[in-house]
Amino acid sequence: MRVLVCVKRVPFTGGKMVLAADSMALETRHLGFTISPHEECGVEEAVRLIEANGGESVVLTLGPPEAIEQLRDAMALGIDRAIHLQTDGAEWDPEASASAILDAIRAEEETYGPFDLVFFGNESADSGGFQVGLRVAQALGRPAVTGLKGVKVAGGSAHCEQEVDGGRDVYIVPMPAVLTVKEGLNLPRYPSVPGRMRAGRKPVATSTPTRPPARLEMLRLVVPPGQGRRAEVLGSGPSAAPAVVEMMRKIGVA
Amino acid sequence: MPLVLVEQTGGTPSDPSLQTLTLARSFGGPVHALVIGQAVDLSQHGVAATHVAVHDGLDSFAPDAWAAILGQLSDRLSANAIFAAGTDRGNDVMARVAARMGLPLATNCISVASGDQIHLTRQRWGGSLLEEARMRSPRPLITVAPHTVVIETASAETKVEKFTPQLKEQELAVRVAERVSTKGGGVSLAEAKVVVSGGRGVGSKEGFAIIEELAGLLGGAVGCSRVVTSAGWRPHSDQVGQTGTKIAPELYIVCGISGATQHMAGCKGAKRILAINSDAEAPIMLNADYAVVGDLKEIVPAISAEIRAARAAHAPLPNPLPGGERG
Amino acid sequence: MTAIALAVALIVAGVLFGRRAALLYRLIRMGKPVARFDDLPARAQAEAVVVVGQSKLLQRLGPGLMHAAIFWGFIVLFPTIFIAMIGVVDEHATLPWLGRQGWYALLVDIFAFFVLAGVVAAFAIRKLQRPRRFAGSHVLEADVILLLIAGIVVSLFVWHASRIALGLNEYPAAWAPISNLVAQALPQSWAPYLERAAVWTHVLIILSFLVYLPYSKHLHIFLAAVNVFFGRTRARGRLEPINLEAPDDEVRYGAATSADMTWKQMVDTMSCTECGRCQDVCPAFNTGKELSPKLLIMALRDQLLADGPKALAARGGAAGLPPLVPTAVTDNVVWDCVTCGACQQECPVGIEHIDHIIDLRRNLVMVESRFPVEAAPMLRDIDRASNPWGKPQADRAHWADGLGVHVLQPGEEPPDVLFWVGCAPAYDERARKGAISTAKLLKEAGVDFAILGPRESCTGDPARRMGDEYTFQQQARQNVGTLNSSGVKRIVTTCPHCFNTLSNEYPDFGGRYEVVHHTAFLAELMREGKLKPLAADKAITYHDSCYLARHNDVIAEPRELVAAAGRPVEMARSGKRTFCCGAGGARMWMEESRGRAINQERVREAAATGAQTLAVACPFCTVMLDDGVRETGANLKVVDLATLLSEAVERRKAWDARASGPDE
Repeated sequence: MRVLVCVKRVPFTGGKMVLAADSMALETRHLGFTISPHEECGVEEAVRLIEANGGESVVLTLGPPEAIEQLRDAMALGIDRAIHLQTDGAEWDPEASASAILDAIRAEEETYGPFDLVFFGNESADSGGFQVGLRVAQALGRPAVTGLKGVKVAGGSAHCEQEVDGGRDVYIVPMPAVLTVKEGLNLPRYPSVPGRMRAGRKPVATSTPTRPPARLEMLRLVVPPGQGRRAEVLGSGPSAAPAVVEMMRKIGVA
Repeated sequence: MPLVLVEQTGGTPSDPSLQTLTLARSFGGPVHALVIGQAVDLSQHGVAATHVAVHDGLDSFAPDAWAAILGQLSDRLSANAIFAAGTDRGNDVMARVAARMGLPLATNCISVASGDQIHLTRQRWGGSLLEEARMRSPRPLITVAPHTVVIETASAETKVEKFTPQLKEQELAVRVAERVSTKGGGVSLAEAKVVVSGGRGVGSKEGFAIIEELAGLLGGAVGCSRVVTSAGWRPHSDQVGQTGTKIAPELYIVCGISGATQHMAGCKGAKRILAINSDAEAPIMLNADYAVVGDLKEIVPAISAEIRAARAAHAPLPNPLPGGERG
Repeated sequence: MTAIALAVALIVAGVLFGRRAALLYRLIRMGKPVARFDDLPARAQAEAVVVVGQSKLLQRLGPGLMHAAIFWGFIVLFPTIFIAMIGVVDEHATLPWLGRQGWYALLVDIFAFFVLAGVVAAFAIRKLQRPRRFAGSHVLEADVILLLIAGIVVSLFVWHASRIALGLNEYPAAWAPISNLVAQALPQSWAPYLERAAVWTHVLIILSFLVYLPYSKHLHIFLAAVNVFFGRTRARGRLEPINLEAPDDEVRYGAATSADMTWKQMVDTMSCTECGRCQDVCPAFNTGKELSPKLLIMALRDQLLADGPKALAARGGAAGLPPLVPTAVTDNVVWDCVTCGACQQECPVGIEHIDHIIDLRRNLVMVESRFPVEAAPMLRDIDRASNPWGKPQADRAHWADGLGVHVLQPGEEPPDVLFWVGCAPAYDERARKGAISTAKLLKEAGVDFAILGPRESCTGDPARRMGDEYTFQQQARQNVGTLNSSGVKRIVTTCPHCFNTLSNEYPDFGGRYEVVHHTAFLAELMREGKLKPLAADKAITYHDSCYLARHNDVIAEPRELVAAAGRPVEMARSGKRTFCCGAGGARMWMEESRGRAINQERVREAAATGAQTLAVACPFCTVMLDDGVRETGANLKVVDLATLLSEAVERRKAWDARASGPDE
């Protein structure tokens, strides 16, 4: 079996959004970085599928040189090798990202054969475009299912579960297919140190794609208003309970 | 003229779709709506024409088919923009439209202004950050972030036109094979009018009993923070946050959660937030409407007890209505 | 004839003993390396004090004296083994010179009596008093050993007595009063038979004892002295680092099987006498958890010995040995430990239990990724967010808003003292108070200090105590880099865990600083007159933090602060005998789902002193004990010593301001 998982390097934000001086990016001086949460589950799923079915797993990222950290993290969980499409750190819009990833997948498949499954995150934590995976799927002419919380592979098909209100929708698609997944698909393992050591030596193929002009262009970032609200303190400790219930009755909830 | 995909359940249009219609109207030109499967009444929402697509293959959701229909209709009408709600389904379908038609797509927008170039503001980080952007496209594709636009009604003479789209077999290949109900029933987190969430401060899996009690008394659902899910105390389906479920209750009671941006991104739609936290300086205090400072392990049971006492003492109050008032 | 018989007995005993001893020796030689050959003067001192002086044992006076009697008795009686063997062959011969010394005969009589008294006392303790610490120990084995010891001294007395009766004594009989007394009571006709019987019995018991030794827990008489010699002499709170840069197959990620143990750990397990003093003081065991330090060491010993032949046959190659967890030790036992060190403090034979726990954890976390799932977010957060709560580093100095505390910028001149705040005070509203008071006091005293703010990241202590040495070393290198490039020389910190790591563990990573705990620093300022407190008349009981008092000997200085703020009242378990709050060993981030809560236990003890103020010197203790107070409803306020001192300083100022008033 051959599985590809695409990941993105995103900052690990905390309490509030602080912009860099030019308002074109977040201030990342004191921030750590991670693989976007939905995709972490994609990596874990890919590793589990290869553990169960044999074969090879590959991780790919379009990102700055520092994104090698995220590739090594994925390989520490058990992914076999990595593809690094290196950028200079500037942001790529969804169409451009999809196009670069598509080229890389085509080149990879020409040499090594098709991927049974390509995993994407449902949306990236930062830009949240919701579209890169689907664009790639369309160009490859493969069926795509989004927002998955459950994936099972059986007899050349992928049984996919999508969480909806009140239950789960089940899709069955033939492989090769493209799946976008959500956090909750699984609980990613904690990487072992021997795994991290081995990851440091696994192969990474690096290339530098050229960024096409963007049709959707970011002009600037803005922290939304509304932060700086100060809550009305109804009291402290359990003695505040009557005030709370009074508030609830007023708004018609209790 | 803008074309809007309207999602519906049993003939009732979804709130996010109605919010989208409101935004689309500001884009200019007569607004046309596409509904799949069943007609809906959009006469109060300023829609010039509602196109209802009826096809045997559409009894269960098939995203490629929806995308094909939306695309074809937009061609037929020479729409100047296509809108949909930024729900899971809306984003799914629109991304496929964008891919099929080779057009850019801006998801989760909160405002759009027409012109040579479209200027828009969209959500990043689940809404914790905004991006101002411009789009060059012959037919802008936009999804509208749910619960960011207030629904405004507008009367119109709406024509309803049923049609049967031409669909290729390939477009129906990806479709819902079956729906599995989640066991237990209970109140769905995404739809609940009251949500009570617990975070690290709850302390353990068993500690959630008091949270469940309060939620039960209020007819609400139980939510939790990402830390709680990662610690294995509650299933991921209970997680409220950017990568969990996005909720929009009347009242969101947040217990022992400090208020990280990724959590707040999940409850942007909450009308009112009550924070219960021992730290008066926690970030949640800057995002909440009401607060009680102290130990949640004492406060939450006290509130439950107070509710019971109030109910016993006073005339019974109406239980929270499942449907509730819109808007 | 008798000489041949003795020779045969000696050879048989020698071979049986020798074979087993050789196995144990070869096992120990195969143990993984650990550097314990430095600091010889301190090691010699430990021998003198702990082994010869029996200092650890005498921490419990009754059993201590009982054992000292037997131990010192055996030292004095040692030459009598050879006297007896010579006597077996030739009843008229004895050890040259010593055998004829009256004073030696007197010593032998006296100390043989002490040994007998010790054995009787031991039986009294075991059979009448029945302390709980023996639960799980091999009591039958202990009884047999005690009986053998009794046999040795009784047969010695009978032999001496019968020799005196036969007139064979080489010294005036009066020099051996007890033997003399027994001699008077002996029927003269029995004397020759008793003499032969007693000396043979004596020698044979000794030889059997010798053979039995390496198969029983009595092995400690050889190994305890060795184990104490090779214990830690300084920096008790320091864990041995792993060299992660070594070639893959050489890196030792803690202990997966018994073959992974270090030689010191092997000697640890073989030295255990199953006395159970460790079990008695373990906070986990005493609140109903599975962990007993004694049973842990016994289980590891049993597994080591069971695996021994197979491991030796494989000569260091893969031997297919079973995993220690869960074969010998369950997962629960590994995670119950709070690394408080009470066990090590009590252990008379120098076993270092924490090393064993940590090595088991290291393998579980770093190789098998098998550990309580609720701790995983903490490890990931230290890695990605540089603090165990995943809160933004940018907010790290918010606690100090409005206090006028300077945040040291890169490239600036370093201050006299760097105030290392720690993650808990930065992000927890209860732990914060101590840091705020400390900052106020430092300013009051005119100390030139600064904080690192967002450049300060978690020392890595919770990760290291979880066994995640990889994440810890990452943090250590990062922090050492920041500290070294800032030129900081002196650090004061409110957190004992930071204190322990910065002071004892960072030198392994190139970070050498003078680290002072805030209580010691404030006490010094008080002594210098820079802080003037006025004590209130309220009872304050002080809870010693494990990482301060036990691991680092900071006991007196916090008490100076208590005395300056109020009326000190001590809990029974204080100083080095303190009882943990329950947060150590990264347990702050793990659920306590079995047994009773450790923090509540400690709060009850504090409340029993009658004091209403519970003074602490650690942010973890602050949170744990405050939780304990809420959970038990105790009439106690948990307050950091810095806050108490700050209040005392304000009180003095108010007093001075009113000093001219006539009605004071």
